[in-house]
Amino acid sequence: MDAFLTSRIIADVLGGLTNGVIYGMVALSLVLIWRSTGVLNFAQGAMPMFATYVGFALLSYHFGYWACAVAALIVGLAVGGLTERLVVRGLYGKPEINPIVVMVGFLIVLEAVAAAIWSSFPRSLPSPFSSIDWQLGGHPVSLSPFTVYEIGASIVVMLLVAALFRFTNLGLQLRASALAPEVSRLLGVRVGRLLTLGWMLSTAVGVVTTILVSSNFFTGLTPQVNDGIFAFGFIAAAVGGLESPVGAIVAGVSLGIILQFVQDYLNSNAQIIVALVVLIVALMVRPNGVFTKSSLRRV
Amino acid sequence: MKIEVVRRRFAVSVALIIIATVVAFLIAPTTHNGVAIAIVLDVAVACVATLTLPGLRSSHPVVARAALSMLGVVVVLFVAFFLPSASDFNLATGAAMSIVLLGLSFLTGASGQISLGNSAFMGVGAFTMAIWANHHATTPIFITLLISVVAGALVGLLLGMPATRLRGPYLAGMTLAFAVAFTAILGEFSSWTGGDSGLQLPSEARPPHWLVSLFHSGASPLTTSTLWLTEISIVVAGVAFFFMANLFASRTGRAMRLIRDNDVAAELVGISLPRARVIAFVVSSAYAALGGALWTLIDNSVSPPTYSFALSVTILSLIVIGGIGTISGALIGGIIYAYSTNVISWIVNQTGLNPQGNFASQLNGIIFGGLLILTMLFAPLGIAGAVRHFWHRARNRSSG
Amino acid sequence: MIAIDNLSVSFGAVQALRDVTFRAETGQITAVLGANGAGKTTLLRTVSGLKEPKSGTIAMDGQALVHRKTEDIARMGVGHVPEGRGVIGEFTVEENLRLGAMTAKVNLKSGLEEQYDQFPVLGERRKQHAAKLSGGERQMLAMARALIAKPSVLLLDEPSLGLAPLVTAQLMHTIRSLCETNDLTVILVEQNASSALRIAHRAVVLHVGHVVANDEASVVAGDENLRQYYLGLVE
Repeated sequence: MDAFLTSRIIADVLGGLTNGVIYGMVALSLVLIWRSTGVLNFAQGAMPMFATYVGFALLSYHFGYWACAVAALIVGLAVGGLTERLVVRGLYGKPEINPIVVMVGFLIVLEAVAAAIWSSFPRSLPSPFSSIDWQLGGHPVSLSPFTVYEIGASIVVMLLVAALFRFTNLGLQLRASALAPEVSRLLGVRVGRLLTLGWMLSTAVGVVTTILVSSNFFTGLTPQVNDGIFAFGFIAAAVGGLESPVGAIVAGVSLGIILQFVQDYLNSNAQIIVALVVLIVALMVRPNGVFTKSSLRRV
Repeated sequence: MKIEVVRRRFAVSVALIIIATVVAFLIAPTTHNGVAIAIVLDVAVACVATLTLPGLRSSHPVVARAALSMLGVVVVLFVAFFLPSASDFNLATGAAMSIVLLGLSFLTGASGQISLGNSAFMGVGAFTMAIWANHHATTPIFITLLISVVAGALVGLLLGMPATRLRGPYLAGMTLAFAVAFTAILGEFSSWTGGDSGLQLPSEARPPHWLVSLFHSGASPLTTSTLWLTEISIVVAGVAFFFMANLFASRTGRAMRLIRDNDVAAELVGISLPRARVIAFVVSSAYAALGGALWTLIDNSVSPPTYSFALSVTILSLIVIGGIGTISGALIGGIIYAYSTNVISWIVNQTGLNPQGNFASQLNGIIFGGLLILTMLFAPLGIAGAVRHFWHRARNRSSG
Repeated sequence: MIAIDNLSVSFGAVQALRDVTFRAETGQITAVLGANGAGKTTLLRTVSGLKEPKSGTIAMDGQALVHRKTEDIARMGVGHVPEGRGVIGEFTVEENLRLGAMTAKVNLKSGLEEQYDQFPVLGERRKQHAAKLSGGERQMLAMARALIAKPSVLLLDEPSLGLAPLVTAQLMHTIRSLCETNDLTVILVEQNASSALRIAHRAVVLHVGHVVANDEASVVAGDENLRQYYLGLVE
């Protein structure tokens, strides 16, 4: 294979990986909330967007990038918890369209309020890392300090979430609350609080992805920053079967890489179209998700 | 006894029709539109007479629905006649919107699922209308409208087949993806869709000669295209409501409501769930396409940004506020849409907000999104449901 | 001890329990018997706080249980093994047990050892997913998961459901010895009246929400009318 083609493919895979881990994390948050509360959170992108705006408002008071990021995370936890308590709690056990409609309404309100306060113009976050590719023997290697930061931070967050669920008592209770809420309550697990915690965590994970995406010099932070990412994240989650956290991540990363090739060889407009086709085909071939065992289907 | 009642009512109706005709001709010289007013009044009286026939609703429900739709159309036409042309434009877009809402209401009311892709399905209809009119300028308007409806139904079938097989939020998520993808799809086929600038209709839609000749003067308001387009939209909406009312009451409609309430029971009595869900989705897509096609006609052009995801959310808000799963909810939603821009700019004026400011430009989203949440949490059946609730309460109280 | 007084529970217009009154003494097994729909499961769910009663009181050693949250009632020492056992199939045996021990202030390690001594089969399968266990093993796991929290009250809902007669007999024997060694208050809901009466100290018979008998287990077992009309036991 000639060197140019090889380097182009490597560049696509790396670029795809960067987006893919983001889609994977959005898909993961969607799956966790869906499994535990039966709500597909259409505001999964808007809630962290809002928290990120609030956190990075501290920039005007001469706080640094990392201080703002921590503030955004804390606000994200609060937004997630308050949303669960004040908005979502009344929706458990209602017909399935009720939570969908309410979360779509919440998405619109959050985006409109954010645009009203901070305007719709992109606001660039001062990235602590350079977006300029490293050079190797005079050639750019399609890897910059910023991409390493993006991929690294995503992987760290995913590992932390996985470790929380696998190895801690809290994770065991979170999983139990999602799988068998009534039995968990009979064993003394405070299911209500854990659901709140689940929403807090998923919003915080969303804040991480939002910060990563909008720290990118080329995109910046806008009220609609997560709209497209949410669509790709949902597609990944649905392809993965909506029930499987691992499936969500794998599907997200794969989707990111596929779409990077689409962008490179076709154009960026075609990405969402190809993603939609992938979703249609996947649902036709494996209606319950590529990664879900058929017996686990939720009725 | 019963025959007596019918006879008396018939006599009264005939008398009213004669009086209406005479009055219309008397005022005709001042308004130039006597014949039109007479026809409108006569049809209205005839509809009321039909509707009030005892036992009609149970013996001939289709006739009753037809009369009710016709009465609605005639009343709105009459109102539109006296409104300023700016308001006619609102009314026309609102009538088209109520068709879209009707489709969504049917989907949710019948199958318990929801679509967030109505903006895109409207767009399919809108662009089919524009593309067809640009390539075959001679096709009559109503045929082009039908072609747009078919296009919407086909796209609905393509998307509905995989998603409606599954319970859960798949249809909502997939239609959201379609709505987000739609502008990109338009861009991909820019040689057909005109890219960012969209398409212009080759000629303005004009009323036919026989209609114009009903009027004494060529300068009558009916010959302006705004009123004519308003009338087309209202008539098409009336027909759409008539079909939907029958669909809601049909065997298929009842079967679908059974699915929404209890799908295990529905499966036990032998209803094919996936098929019923696909049908509901295809019908709602076709209705959305019809609404979009009318918009192209009303605007005389079509532009891609109109059909972005934000429109889907507006559609969802309107039907939820009006009353999801009901026919009257679609009507209420359409009226709200027709005048929402006026109301919002009135609010902006009253509160002294800067009309060019961030807050004023986002007020639409804040109000609609907020109402969407509050309605779903506190009155899930919207205005239609609330009215029905109070009506029943009042009736129960009065009857003891 | 569990004291239930004038307890009435309804689902909408349907009254599931009417004026139910009885005592379940410490160190004793109180069997609650009756046909399908007699209100047995509803009774246990009300004790656990999963269902709000319309009227009446429930007290555990003098502390009122009504209007408390299920989680809090569990933490007060009421172990409830629900109908169908409620083991979490996606969890391993040990994860199920860990979940049971988590909310009680008990030492996990010694608790696990104790339960594996009690139910050796669980020790052998500690790393297996609970979904892979047999019906009898699942029942053992569900009981062990309740017992690891050291409850003072044990509510058992149809433990013999779906088990072979031999396994049922063994299970009943285990329940009796658990009750005696740990000085537990056991309320045993059973449709399988004969097995339950063999180990119970007292028996309460429910019929469409009413208490029709409340006596020593041996008395109930000897009452020909009760056996025939309410318990479906014919020689």
